[in-house]
Amino acid sequence: MSTPVGEGALDDAFRAVGGRIRAALAARYRDLDLAEEAFAESCLKAAKAWKDEGPPRDTAAWLYRVAERTALDILRRRRTRTENRPDEPASEPTAEDRLTSDDAVIPDERLKLIFVCCHPAIGGESRAALTLKLVCGLTTGEVARAFLLSETTLAQRLVRAKRNITEAGVGFEVPEPEHWAARLSAVLSTIEIAYAKAHEDAAGSGRHAGFAREMFDLTALLAEMLPEEAEVLALAATVRFAEARRPARIDSTGAMIPLVEQDPALWSQPMIAAARGYCARALGMSGPGPRIMQMMIHALWCGRRSVADPPPWKAVLAAYDILLGLRDDPVIRINRAVALAEVQGAEAALIELDRLDADVLNDFLPFLAARADVLSRLGRHDEARISFDRALALGPGEAERRFLERRRADLVGK
Amino acid sequence: MQYMLLIYENEEIFGGPEKTGPLMAEIGPKHFALIGEMGAARLGGGGLKGTAFATTVRRENGEQTIHDGPFAETKEQLGGYYLIDVPDLDAAIALARRVPLGRDGAIEIRPLIPLPPGVTR
Repeated sequence: MSTPVGEGALDDAFRAVGGRIRAALAARYRDLDLAEEAFAESCLKAAKAWKDEGPPRDTAAWLYRVAERTALDILRRRRTRTENRPDEPASEPTAEDRLTSDDAVIPDERLKLIFVCCHPAIGGESRAALTLKLVCGLTTGEVARAFLLSETTLAQRLVRAKRNITEAGVGFEVPEPEHWAARLSAVLSTIEIAYAKAHEDAAGSGRHAGFAREMFDLTALLAEMLPEEAEVLALAATVRFAEARRPARIDSTGAMIPLVEQDPALWSQPMIAAARGYCARALGMSGPGPRIMQMMIHALWCGRRSVADPPPWKAVLAAYDILLGLRDDPVIRINRAVALAEVQGAEAALIELDRLDADVLNDFLPFLAARADVLSRLGRHDEARISFDRALALGPGEAERRFLERRRADLVGK
Repeated sequence: MQYMLLIYENEEIFGGPEKTGPLMAEIGPKHFALIGEMGAARLGGGGLKGTAFATTVRRENGEQTIHDGPFAETKEQLGGYYLIDVPDLDAAIALARRVPLGRDGAIEIRPLIPLPPGVTR
């Protein structure tokens, strides 16, 4: 108990319990700013107190008790400020707080907080940002980098979103089951967007790297809290299938390896097993929804055990056909075209890709990479080169850049 | 919390500015059914005659003028409203979803600025 704690360890401890404590405070006081402020203050107090005396037995309970009291102090300060009275000193944790080890003292209100952050009254772009900040504890800077926004812009958006929650009277409740379809879908889209950002980066070293872990934890949390929702379980499975392949996603030179060329022996089997657990539960309860089909495509790939197993292109294409009937969007069409190139040939794939809106997608790396690949297979090297150059001009991550450069170099002399 | 549910529709479908057309006869009872279900949550409400009967008091550069006609020409006009008192936005959305519309249209939900203590609406 008297070992001093390093700053990194403290940050980890704060981040691990932050979502839960902020959610509990926000639920109690119905004030997101107060929850954030009180938790931040209690972390400062903890950093000071634990440095001198060592951490308490249960750091979470300690932080929560202190944050609770800090919230009351802040409320009192706000009140006295308007009445022109001097601030009262903030109370210090008691000996009892240092000894308590009851994690159960913190009510788990994270699901409510997620639903509040993803309320349809809040702009679509702000939902993910707010969730990442309040539930996952990312800093404004981290979230801003993830969405390629300046910190000032994002901070303004967050302020607006929080004001919206208060002024429009968003209730701090998990909505009634009949409204889940709409609300849950906003929550799941938020997680999908955030995870897609992490997954784009094969090396896991870019600015979205931390997201993968957060989304991993968040999907586990949602699956635990909503065990009867097939789409929730499907998303938890998808994130695990995708994370299982991470060790095989870059080669020794640091270049990205496309899924079909990865060595399945490097995939994490324990992680795949965890994914299959969620997968089986999800399949047991519903027909094919879009997230169920996404999960199935990942499951098909993760069924390969070695490079000798033939890639499941035909089954993948069939799954994309079903998925397209459920959710028609360009990303799915691009992925389907990649499978189509393998099953029916590059010509068919190019026809599909050229049906998409190039004006919009010419800034979208997966589109440009897929088109470049198909064009090079067809021997249309000049056009392929243009697509590779456009993709590279978007400034992809290190691993993706190396991969694209190599493919582009392969065209030379052909 | 108090909210105003503002009902926007293309008023032309209701048969003239008096709004006495067949669609009005059809939608009226639906409103009364909703009013019954709202119970005490409904503080007030009403339908508005067409914008042809509108008069606008406008202030421009400090000078007040009175015009006939609505404040702005739009595809959908404010046609009626409900004033409700419900626990939160979701409850307001739930009621707004049930407001009958003649055809396409929109219900805008606006929280009211709270009144000072002692002042009644």
